[in-house]
Amino acid sequence: MRMTADVIVIGGGLVGMAIATGLQREGADVLVLDEGDVAHRASRGNFGLVWVQGKGAGMPAYAGWTRRSADLWPGFADRLKQETGIDVGYRKVGGIDIALDEADLDERRGKLAAIAAAAPAETRVDFEILDRNGVRDILPDVGPEVVGGSWTAHDGHVSPLLLLRALVTGFRNDGGRIETEASVERIAKGFSVMTAKGSFLAGRIVLAAGLGSARLAPMVGLSVPVRPQRGQVMITERQAPRLHHPTNWVRQTVEGTIQIGDSHEEAGFDDGVTTPVLRDIARRAVRAFPFLDGVRILRCWGALRVMSPDGCPIYRQSETMPGAFAATCHSGVTLAAAHAGLLAPMIARGTLDPSMEPFSPTRFDTS
Amino acid sequence: MSTDVDIAVIGAGPAGMTAASTAAEAGLSCVLLDEQAEPGGQIYRAIERLAARGERFAEILGEDYARGAAIAQRFRQSGAVCQAGVQVFDLDADGVLGLIADEGARWIRARRVIVAAGAQERPVPVPGWTLPGVMSLGSAQTLLKSAAMVSDVPTVIAGSGPLLYLAATQLIEAGARIEAVLDTMPRERYLAAAAGLPRALMAGGELRKGLAWKRRLKNSGVRYLSNADAIAIAGEGRVTGLRARVGHRDMDFACSLVLLHEGVVPNVQLAMVAGARHDHDGLQACWRPVLDPFGRTTVANILVAGDAGGIGGAELAAAEGELAACAAAYDLGCIGEREFERRTRVPQALVRRKKPLRRFLDTLFRPRDEVLVPPGDDTIVCRCEEVTAGELRRIAALGCTGPNQSKAFSRAGMGPCQGRMCALTISHLLAAAHDRDPAHTGHLRLRPPVKPVTVGQMAGAPDDA
Repeated sequence: MRMTADVIVIGGGLVGMAIATGLQREGADVLVLDEGDVAHRASRGNFGLVWVQGKGAGMPAYAGWTRRSADLWPGFADRLKQETGIDVGYRKVGGIDIALDEADLDERRGKLAAIAAAAPAETRVDFEILDRNGVRDILPDVGPEVVGGSWTAHDGHVSPLLLLRALVTGFRNDGGRIETEASVERIAKGFSVMTAKGSFLAGRIVLAAGLGSARLAPMVGLSVPVRPQRGQVMITERQAPRLHHPTNWVRQTVEGTIQIGDSHEEAGFDDGVTTPVLRDIARRAVRAFPFLDGVRILRCWGALRVMSPDGCPIYRQSETMPGAFAATCHSGVTLAAAHAGLLAPMIARGTLDPSMEPFSPTRFDTS
Repeated sequence: MSTDVDIAVIGAGPAGMTAASTAAEAGLSCVLLDEQAEPGGQIYRAIERLAARGERFAEILGEDYARGAAIAQRFRQSGAVCQAGVQVFDLDADGVLGLIADEGARWIRARRVIVAAGAQERPVPVPGWTLPGVMSLGSAQTLLKSAAMVSDVPTVIAGSGPLLYLAATQLIEAGARIEAVLDTMPRERYLAAAAGLPRALMAGGELRKGLAWKRRLKNSGVRYLSNADAIAIAGEGRVTGLRARVGHRDMDFACSLVLLHEGVVPNVQLAMVAGARHDHDGLQACWRPVLDPFGRTTVANILVAGDAGGIGGAELAAAEGELAACAAAYDLGCIGEREFERRTRVPQALVRRKKPLRRFLDTLFRPRDEVLVPPGDDTIVCRCEEVTAGELRRIAALGCTGPNQSKAFSRAGMGPCQGRMCALTISHLLAAAHDRDPAHTGHLRLRPPVKPVTVGQMAGAPDDA
């Protein structure tokens, strides 16, 4: 099978579908190549935050990029709803990173101040450090061990599953093509993409294959040094609405379930769960929100973050094979609006803005 | 948590009780875990109280049921520890089990785990199956066995399989108000299965016994209609009737209780959660763990015995329990090769002898297509999240080929039942939508806990779990 398109996007997760959607809106004929039902799929296991605070320490470009995406999110969600009828449940209600001890809160204060100080005025993130009562005003359910927290109005959350469904639905409705079970084996000049389902041709390609991009990038003269970092998560039975604002590791979903994370583990490609980690997550959750003690867990899972060495995204066009782009990050939900609205138009124009230079993987070169 | 026990057996039916007895008799420390208050499993439920409940009751349940008493007695004398009223909510590849009981959650580690979790009734997603007043025939039989209870409201039984004849007859004889029994087995199945009949007859007395139950049902005076199809349950807020096509005629039945049954399938949840590989069994139209002849799964410390590894019935289950325990004892160095061969000879011969019968029954009672994939778009597939067949077909049309992606898109399979009531239907529906084999479509990836456990209970896990 040989099929042609203007652009082939490799990867049907949140990063790939957001870029594909953006390219389609620029008028491109886009083909998405995706894996099958069982794949690593960070898009299926993630936490669903559109989260700004704390992002980009030591990398102002990332802080600004995140802030710009959060600014675009309301319009992005509205347009998806108009075009697909799917409400992805985005709520920009402001979020709190709660602290269980004073040292943690002090460290937070310093970190957020440093990020703000390094940011240009237009993307600076105003934050507030709350004491116990300040947190309780916003989240009355916090327990006595919560000493405070940091707040920004830019944070919010969304259903990541509905987001992916909306992106796929909108893309297909507008004539976009998605080939599933088409794992990419090889990419040759031209570009010719060899898959389990045959070869596909396009003048431009975008690697948005998450952890798979590490293997594919050298085929087009790029380097995407990403590794899996496991996060374990649990989700409870539905509860009446009571947590009206997300925290970065406990949030009530639009369906009413309460999602509790997170862990940061170097466990290779094992996306299973382990009792000691789940126990620690549960202990911390009960300290933060004592009512969770008696709430039943429905399901626990592990998911693999797509981590670069500094935790920040990688965006780059190949110098040796122009027309081949790589895009990867571990915050595909937060950055979805920027990927569709800002990054995709650059790819459609054929060149990344100079402002994207800080995201080049050359920053990892040791020489 | 150090290693607590040599062998943990999950499920106290014929396979589990026999496995536990065998392991304990071989000198291994063994604990048998079961959700019920007493051993017996589904088939021998409340078996140890049988004698106390009188001859009439024993006669209704039959001599096969009574055979369980000997298995239970052997188990009680074996030295294996019985922990009843315990749910296993997690099992990992290292043999750590998460348990939940009235007093809370706890974790144990076993050197080998034998999963003998038995069968569950196949979900029967017909229109109206989620209405109050619909239950499975197996549940009704369970109430009869454990509490000597039968409902006195007008009842229709619909379905097929050996249990239909047995349980329907038992309920009628116990005094239930059965308006009609609708047998959904297509008549042409007799032809399909006929070639296997002679060997099946030689496999043992079960077939004759099954025919005797069917005769007893037909002679009971209750209306029995064969070749029924297109079952749809009617009612607003609760069951008021049932419509079916019988032959070429649509018939309506007024009733307030419907008992459905379309055979049983392996209870695969724990073996799947532990990571054991499962293949699709085309004839039984279900998933079953990949096992060696002694019940070893693809996960080193975990074995499966009995119906949990593929439907075979009580007698076969007991033999498989014996084999799995011998394999575990051998692997742990508790018995040598010669002893292993000596002990496994008889149960292996029984397994070989029973195979032709199973094939015959599977061919005869293979579920109809409308049981595997609801033809109507309005029929609910996932009860927990109320996802319909139509919604799943729409998602399939988006290009979604497997149950894990359809779960992410539709929430089908995300509810508290952990796919117990929908996973098979979802796989079969997606396979049909893409015109491919369910083996290729794959199954829902199960995630612990398979039984609900609270956040607080999880917080209480020991430091070395």
